[in-house]
Amino acid sequence: MSAETSRGTLIRTIAGREISVKLRDKGFIASTIFFLVIIVAATVIPVILRDQTHDYTLAVVGDRAAAVAKVAAGLHSSADSAAVPNATVTVSPAADRAAAEALVRGGKADAALVSDGAALALIGKDAVTDDLVALAQAAAAQVDIAQVAVEAGLSPDQVQRIAAPTPPTVELLNAQPERAVPPILLVIIFGFLFYFSVLTFGVSIAQSVVEEKQSRVVELLVAAVPVRWLLAGKVLGSTALAVAQVTLIVGVGLAGAGIAGQSKVISQVLGASGWFLVFFLLGFLMLACLWAVAGSLASRVEDLQSTTMVMQVTVMAPFFATVFVTEPGRTQQVLSYIPFTAPLMMPARVINGTAQVWEPWVAAGIVLATAALFVALGARLYEGSVLRTSNRTRLIQAWRSEQ
Amino acid sequence: MAIPPALQVRDVTRSFGTRVALDRVSFDVRPGRLTGFVGANGAGKTTAMRIVMGVLAADAGTVTFGGEPIDLQARRQFGYMPEERGLYPKMRVLDQLVFFGRVHGLGPAVARARALELLEQLDLADRTTDVLHTLSLGNQQRVQVAAALLHEPVLLILDEPFSGLDPIAVDAMAARLRARAEAGVPVLFSSHQLELVERLCDDLVVIHQGRIVAHGDAEHLQEERAGTRIRIAVDGGTAWLAGARGVRVVSTDPRGTVVELVDGGDGQALLAEAQRHGAVHEFGRVVPSLSEIFREVIR
Repeated sequence: MSAETSRGTLIRTIAGREISVKLRDKGFIASTIFFLVIIVAATVIPVILRDQTHDYTLAVVGDRAAAVAKVAAGLHSSADSAAVPNATVTVSPAADRAAAEALVRGGKADAALVSDGAALALIGKDAVTDDLVALAQAAAAQVDIAQVAVEAGLSPDQVQRIAAPTPPTVELLNAQPERAVPPILLVIIFGFLFYFSVLTFGVSIAQSVVEEKQSRVVELLVAAVPVRWLLAGKVLGSTALAVAQVTLIVGVGLAGAGIAGQSKVISQVLGASGWFLVFFLLGFLMLACLWAVAGSLASRVEDLQSTTMVMQVTVMAPFFATVFVTEPGRTQQVLSYIPFTAPLMMPARVINGTAQVWEPWVAAGIVLATAALFVALGARLYEGSVLRTSNRTRLIQAWRSEQ
Repeated sequence: MAIPPALQVRDVTRSFGTRVALDRVSFDVRPGRLTGFVGANGAGKTTAMRIVMGVLAADAGTVTFGGEPIDLQARRQFGYMPEERGLYPKMRVLDQLVFFGRVHGLGPAVARARALELLEQLDLADRTTDVLHTLSLGNQQRVQVAAALLHEPVLLILDEPFSGLDPIAVDAMAARLRARAEAGVPVLFSSHQLELVERLCDDLVVIHQGRIVAHGDAEHLQEERAGTRIRIAVDGGTAWLAGARGVRVVSTDPRGTVVELVDGGDGQALLAEAQRHGAVHEFGRVVPSLSEIFREVIR
C-alpha cells in the first residue's frame, strides 16, 4: 500500500490537472498568443518604422546636379543629425533631361535631379518624397556654401564649420526623469493585463468548479481529498498559470524592447513591473477563492452568468477607476489603499512616481490581509456549496453549510 | 495471516431538514464477500454509501473499517463508484485515470502503468487518448470502473454498478467484482436488479425508508424466510388440498400447488395424505426468491 496522504502532493496533483487542462485549452493558448503578438508589435514596430532606411535612386543630368547628388548620397553616412532623413541615395547618371524623365516614368528612378547652369530641378512622377526633397535641399546648400567659401578663399576647416555648425546643447533646470513610454500607457497596459487575466482565469476557475459539480466528479474527489485542499489546488494552479502568463507577456515585451534597442523602455518597465507582479499575485489570490465560490453556488454551467455577476463587477470597476482617475491626488491615493483597486492603482502610482517608497508595502499588506480573509470566507462557502448538486445554492445556505 | 478488515456501519442516522434519510442503520460488509444493497428508490442506499465514503457526514452513529474509524488515509484506499458517475467529460481517458490514481496516492509511473493495464483488460487500449465524452456510454462506464479499481482498493463501494450495462458487460462486471471479493476485499454494491443481486451476492442488506429491514447471509435469509411453504404435485390433481386440515392453499399453477402449513399443520402427515391421493412428483419446501423476500419485508 503506497498511499501517501501528503497534503502537498495532493494539492499539487489537483493544481497540476488544472494547469494541464488549461494548457490544452484553445482559448487560453489563443489569448496568450494574442497578447504576445500585441506586445511585440507595440515594442518592435515603432522602432522598425523609425529605423527603417529608405533607398532612393536619383537620375542625374548636368554637372551641378551631379555634384549635389554626390553630396546627398554622402549625407546619410556622414551626418547623425535628425535633420537629415534616414535614406541612402543611389546616383544613376542620365544622358539628358528626356532620358532622366523616361527613367522616372518607367519607375527605374524615384526622381530626377536636373541642372541647367545654376538652376536645379527635382523631377518626380506623381510626387517627390519629403526625404529626397530634404536631402536635395541640404546637399544643394552644402555645395553652394562650399563653392562660395572657396571663392572667398576660406580654409577647408573654416568651410567645414560653416557647412556643419555646432548646435547648442539643451539643459533643463527642472528635469524630469526621462521616460521612453508615457506612464499613462504603462498603467493602462498593466491594468488591462490584470483585468483580462483575473476575468478570464476567474471565469475558468468558476467553470472548472461547476464542471466538477455538474459531472459529479466532485463526489469522487471529495471522497479522497478534503474539500479545502481541493480548493487550494484549484486556486494555486490557476494562480501559478496566470502569473506565468503575465510574466511571459511582460518578459517577451521586454525582450522585444531589448532586440529593438530600447534600453530606456526596459529599465523603465523593469522598475515598474516588480510591484505590478507583486500586486498581480496578491490581487489574483484575493479574488480567486471568491471565483471558486461563484462557481460552486451554481449547479450547471448555465447558472454561472448570474452567480459570477458580482465578481465581474468587482473586477471591472477597479479597472475603469484606474483608467479614468489619472490625475494624481486624493482620489488616487485613497483608491490605492482600497483592496479591490489597490492592485491596479498602487503600481500606477509607483509608475507615475507619486507614491512614497513605503506606500506600496502598506497597500500590499492590506491586500494580503484581505486575501487571507477572502480565502477563509471562500473556503467555508465553497465547502458549504460544492456538494449541493441539485440546484443553485444561496449564499446563506452555503454559509450555514447544512451538509 | 491477519484477517482482512470488514466495514461496519453502526446506528448511523442522517436527516435532511426534517426528512430522516437514515434511521439507526447498522450492517456489515464482510471481507471476501459480495454484499448486495437493495431497497426502493429513496430508501437511503445512496445516502448510506456517501456516508461510508465521507462525502456526507452522519448526524449520529459510526462507520469503522477493520475496527478503526475511517480517516482520510483509509478512505483514499477505498474504491468508489458514485450513483451519478463522475469523470471529467473533456479530459482524455488515460490522463483522467492517472489523475485519479494520483489522487488516491499512487505515484505517477505506477498510476500510468496500472491505468494502461486496466484499459487493456477493459478493451479500451485503443481509446487512451480519446476525450471521455466521445466514448459510448458503455465505454464511459468501463472507464468509471477502471477509476474505481485503479488503486487496488481495500474496500469497494459501488452505487448501481450494473445500471446501463448490456448482459455481456454485466457478466464481465460481475466477474470483476467476484475476483476482487475473492482477493479478500469487502464489496458493497447496490442494485435494482434483484435477480442479478440474487445470482451474485453472498450477503444481503435490505433497506426500506431509511431502516435496515433485513441483513446477513443471503442463503440464510432465504432459508429463514422459507418458513412453512410447501410445493406439492400429485397425479390426479390437488383439489383435495382445499379441504385438508392445517393447510392453506397459497397458489396453484400447472407445476403444482403451493400451500402453507397453518394451525400446527404437519408436513409429514400432509405427505402421507398426498401419497394416498396418487403418485407424488414433487414435495418440497419453497425457498422464496429475493424479490419475494424484498416485497415481503418492505410491505
